[in-house]
Amino acid sequence: MLKTRTISNCRRIGISTTISHPRFSSSSTSSAIPRPQPSEAIDPAALLSNPTWSVRSLLPQPSDPATSSTPPPPTITSSQLHHLLRLSALPLPKSPAAESHMLSVLQSQLSFLQAIQSVDTEGVEPLRSIRDETAAGMAEATIGLNQAQVRAALASEEIMGRCQRPRRQRGAAVDASEAEEWDVLGTASQRAGRYFVVRSGKSGDKDGEIVG
Amino acid sequence: MARIRTVELGRYLLNGKLGRQGCLCARRASFAGMSAIGQTRHFASPAQQFEPPIHPRKQAKDQAKALKASGKKQKKKNTDNQTVPGWELTVGIEIHAQLNTPRKLFSPAATSFNDTPNSHVALFDVALPGSQPAFQPDALIPAVRAALALGCDIQHVSRFDRKHYFHWDQPAGYQITQFYEPFAKDGHIVLRARDGIAAEDGDSIKIGIKQVQMEQDTAKTMALPGEVQWLDFNRVGVPLIEVITLPQMHHPATAAALVRKVQMLLNSVDACVSGMEAGGLRADVNVSVRRTDDTSGELGTRTEIKNLSSFKAVEDAIIAERDRQIALLEAGGVVAGETRGWSLGGTETRRLRGKEGEVDYRYMPDPDLGPVVIDEQLVSHLATSMGMLPDAEMDQLISEYGLSTKDALSLVQLDDGARIQYFYNVLDELELRLGADKSSDQSHVLLAANWCLHELGKLTEVSSDLEMTPSGECKVGSADLAAILHHIHRRQITAKVAKDLLWSVFRGEIEHRGVSEAIEAQGMWFQELAEEEYAAIADSVVQGEMKVVGEFLRFKTGKTKAYPQGKLMFLVGRMLQAGPEQKMDPASAERVLRVRIEEVYIPALEAMQAAEE
Repeated sequence: MLKTRTISNCRRIGISTTISHPRFSSSSTSSAIPRPQPSEAIDPAALLSNPTWSVRSLLPQPSDPATSSTPPPPTITSSQLHHLLRLSALPLPKSPAAESHMLSVLQSQLSFLQAIQSVDTEGVEPLRSIRDETAAGMAEATIGLNQAQVRAALASEEIMGRCQRPRRQRGAAVDASEAEEWDVLGTASQRAGRYFVVRSGKSGDKDGEIVG
Repeated sequence: MARIRTVELGRYLLNGKLGRQGCLCARRASFAGMSAIGQTRHFASPAQQFEPPIHPRKQAKDQAKALKASGKKQKKKNTDNQTVPGWELTVGIEIHAQLNTPRKLFSPAATSFNDTPNSHVALFDVALPGSQPAFQPDALIPAVRAALALGCDIQHVSRFDRKHYFHWDQPAGYQITQFYEPFAKDGHIVLRARDGIAAEDGDSIKIGIKQVQMEQDTAKTMALPGEVQWLDFNRVGVPLIEVITLPQMHHPATAAALVRKVQMLLNSVDACVSGMEAGGLRADVNVSVRRTDDTSGELGTRTEIKNLSSFKAVEDAIIAERDRQIALLEAGGVVAGETRGWSLGGTETRRLRGKEGEVDYRYMPDPDLGPVVIDEQLVSHLATSMGMLPDAEMDQLISEYGLSTKDALSLVQLDDGARIQYFYNVLDELELRLGADKSSDQSHVLLAANWCLHELGKLTEVSSDLEMTPSGECKVGSADLAAILHHIHRRQITAKVAKDLLWSVFRGEIEHRGVSEAIEAQGMWFQELAEEEYAAIADSVVQGEMKVVGEFLRFKTGKTKAYPQGKLMFLVGRMLQAGPEQKMDPASAERVLRVRIEEVYIPALEAMQAAEE
């Protein structure tokens, strides 16, 4: 059951479900291995003890670039790296050696992603998160008049004026104690009365703030 | 020739002043030499020292003339500045409005306004590690109503995305918004001439709305000296909707009218908390220009203007930015796609952030939140229970009730919509009293509207002193005003008496529903004079005014072209002064006078003139 669902999910994001033997080529599309006949006894321990595939097969093979079916990923420049680090509010590399190490790591990560990006996903809806997308699941997630919170909100409105426009009664007490009662200001590194204090000057090791 | 003293010479040359003798030479000089000097020199007469100062009004006029002559540019009025020949302006607007909900968007903490700082903060609002968002369905009700008021299609399924940027007012490092799949798309808003669009846009214009999406608000920050910010996280996570219009506006006044109308619509469906002035609604404007003979079909580079805090600021900022871009392009430059700001009373937008600082938001679907699935039934329930929207109400007031556009607009806008409710109440009571007598030509409606607008306005300096409640009652009870209007309409009291009654009711001197008794008690019923009595008064007034009657004769004989209405009213005024005023109706007096002039006075004058010859 789990196997079929994993396979169906893999199909959805386009990863090939054919298992490739490590002795064969690292390409993801390979001929099928001989399947055990139903009459033969399957030894689970033997079957599961040897890995048949490793993620390493997706990393660039420096010894044999010709066999790699995916084109080499574009090289990242130093300025691109700095731009990405600034966007993520991460510190810039401290030395050229650190920077070249960071670049090589990023490069190998990109070639790993290339294998995924090379799959044809035409017409396939991207997966955002794994949720219950059955009809029953969607019905449960639907927000409508059958939900108590919505019904209560609509019932507490009053209809105003000749034009019969509904209006929410403001000033009605909202019981949010469960969510609000905790020591908010205790998390502040610096306080001023009931306010959090932030220093906005461009000083120290802080990068300049990017204003959205 | 004797030497002229240096002191005197200096005084004359430098100050134009002469000594006592009025000439510039020593006493012992010969007369011949003196007269020669006197004839050839031009000197300031002593009289000039005593010239009176220039009158300030004359001074101002002279200054204005000098300014006009110098050719300095006067600031153009906005209504004259809607188009620049040869250039086409394109404007798109993004409006952010705070939703009217009891709780925040992704946490059950309460929304608030000016409460104790940091008292309504949930764990997720400050992005404590391990906290998760939980979508609050309460937010859907005003959001869907707003989208329906803007004519949008509500999507059955919509999703949330993360917009990443770092700022101290956003603890999570990203804002949760709906970039890829908003909950409402493809709406439109129709602006009419009465909404204040530019005259160049004609009677009405339809602006498309690309999408309406839900998103989070940020924290409130107070900047203090020393580069320090104080943060209040009560506002983090409060639901906002963002309305994105299509770039279909071509005149600044239309853009300002659109923002005004969106605020009015959101207010009428109870979707937004407060207006632009109070900070509950923000507009960001995108402006670009291109030449009218541009065949490429592409719009010019656009700049975004932020920090607009009023409708007038929207119009002024668009005009300033358009002029700046045109000047730049005409000088051969290129418009940079940047973000600019505007300050009230400014003349040009100023750069806030350039292209180098352009942020890459790295939008990605938020994996912590499930899709928003909106039930069709809920949408149709909200659509049918919205009540009459402002446009429909205005159309009804103008076509069914016969009010003028200006009066209808004023009634609807005064007192936050309370004045129109008051008008409806008064009208209901009036029609009840009139019963079958109510006029078929809606004159009683116009009477009620006139009194609710103008006469009520005259009672107090500020309209809030009337203490108008949202249900339409104020210090002058609607039943009492209806009673007064009823008597006016039936011509049982004069207008002057009615205004006095209104004053008394306002001051509380007449008890509730006691208007008729008060009139009875003070004997203020209008007992009109008979025709003969009017005629007698007219006769007495005309006695000494034969010259005025002469004017009427001149009109009759064709010597003047226009009927001397002014003279007629002068005579009516004299009649009202002469006779018992509370028994006289000016309209009747005028009518009687007109007839008597025709039939009695002019023939009498003609006879008198014939006798003299």
